[in-house]
Amino acid sequence: MKPVYLCGRGLACSLGLDVTTSLAALRKGNSEAGSCCLPGNMGGRFPYHAIAYPRSDWNERARELVQRVAIEAGVKPGCSGALFLASSSFDIGADEAGATQRNYSAFSDKIVAWLAWTGPVYMINTACTSSHNALLAAHALLRTGEMEEALVLGIELDNLLTLGGFAAMQLLSPDSSKPFGAQRNGLVLGEAVAALRLSSRETSNWKMLGGANVVDGSQPTGASLAAVTSMYQRALACSGLAAEQINLIKVQAAGSPGNDAIEAQGMLAAFNSVPALVSLKAAMGHTMGASGAAEIALLLACVEQGVLPAYGDEVDATLGVTFAKNIPESVRHIMATILGFGGSHATVVLEKA
Amino acid sequence: MMIFSISGRCIAAPPPPDWREQLALTLGAKPRRIGSWAELGLYGALSCMAAAGETTLPQDAILMLASRRGTYTATDLVLGQIRDDLPMPLAFLQTQPSQLLALIAARLNWQGHACFFADTELHALLRLAAAQAGAGGVLLGWVDEMDGGSSNWLRLRPDAAAGIDFMPATANNEIFLPAVSHLRISSAHLLLGHAGIGA
Repeated sequence: MKPVYLCGRGLACSLGLDVTTSLAALRKGNSEAGSCCLPGNMGGRFPYHAIAYPRSDWNERARELVQRVAIEAGVKPGCSGALFLASSSFDIGADEAGATQRNYSAFSDKIVAWLAWTGPVYMINTACTSSHNALLAAHALLRTGEMEEALVLGIELDNLLTLGGFAAMQLLSPDSSKPFGAQRNGLVLGEAVAALRLSSRETSNWKMLGGANVVDGSQPTGASLAAVTSMYQRALACSGLAAEQINLIKVQAAGSPGNDAIEAQGMLAAFNSVPALVSLKAAMGHTMGASGAAEIALLLACVEQGVLPAYGDEVDATLGVTFAKNIPESVRHIMATILGFGGSHATVVLEKA
Repeated sequence: MMIFSISGRCIAAPPPPDWREQLALTLGAKPRRIGSWAELGLYGALSCMAAAGETTLPQDAILMLASRRGTYTATDLVLGQIRDDLPMPLAFLQTQPSQLLALIAARLNWQGHACFFADTELHALLRLAAAQAGAGGVLLGWVDEMDGGSSNWLRLRPDAAAGIDFMPATANNEIFLPAVSHLRISSAHLLLGHAGIGA
């Protein structure tokens, strides 16, 4: 099997339009959410992490953001690697605005044209874990030698369907995201476009060792303890690591009363000593299908620069876990976890050179 | 290069007129609140597993689901609701194609890797299946509601396929032909094997 390197990353999110400005905003604590307004009696105003980028036309805005993050990740026009588009909403926002008609192939055709991509295209939607499943798929193709280059593009842009659906399911916080917080009361959603460029030909300081995605149908809208535990165990096994070799975990911790508790229990079950934990949800919101790629892009910058987000809320002591005060010295192995709709539980394992 | 044998299949394009009754019979009750696309997918997946003589998947098997239009019908409904009010929660859930993965996993009492692919080209999908599948193989399905509906599924197992002759596929839907017993997948080609032909 060939080693797979994470060679480039790009990010546009509510913190900034690239990794550097996003990290700077995180360092300064400039991560307050804006808001969105939803229709109906149960609608109203909810906090929302929008990308600060002009909104004249949905497609034009998407094109500019996709091209920005691809360039930042080092993508060259005409790339013949595998392109993985990861999204839970695709271009439904354009459909809502009357700018297009829903059509998966038209969506991928647009992105292919924007990037002048020439290789095979995979469009993955497993809700919140879409980017993670795209990463796992890209990793499989590269390590087996099927492909040498791949780009994972997580795209989650403004649309009413996702916001309205989450509000209808009473999953949104009315005030703020409180990861593992004692007063946690729901999710805050956000926009992100993120690119992770993988290669088996080029090397970098970050290697993707593997990961696991475990779907458990017993809880189709929430996390399952057995699946969280199994996800960590499978990811360790496929990466050839022991639990004690993991130095840092970026958790899901979206601020959900139920899921945060199950996630914490799963880590306690899988690790004799829970590694240092970090969450990025309060800083950038939960960016759904893009969250895996977006949070990894920012997380790696955090590790490289020794930056951790500030947590304004008290951690729930009953969970038995807490966040790291600092990035541990000599971080080598990292897990990045996303839990999502469809009973999907996914984590990827990264190694720092 | 990977060779899969086809140990079970459900070709329902279109599904038989009584497919809903057959599904209710399999489940022991009429499915509720899961949406017509998911019902059609569940019907095909469970029929395929029955044809393969399996009641569950091995732990290291993977579930791959593909569709040209996925949950468009359910999404149209919710987009109609959401102009004036929040959608009904179950209606929103039905817009999420990954819900079908959870339904199949629950019905098979199985936990494992499962993924939904929107309008992904057949050969690319099979290359990925070959790269990701363990010894437990793949349950692979294509489900769509348009044109009378279709729910085509294959249960694929890694196989040495000694003595099987392979010929290039000339059309994507050839893989569903009953005479095709094996698939040989390489970066450049998809080849079809027919049991009984060759040495």
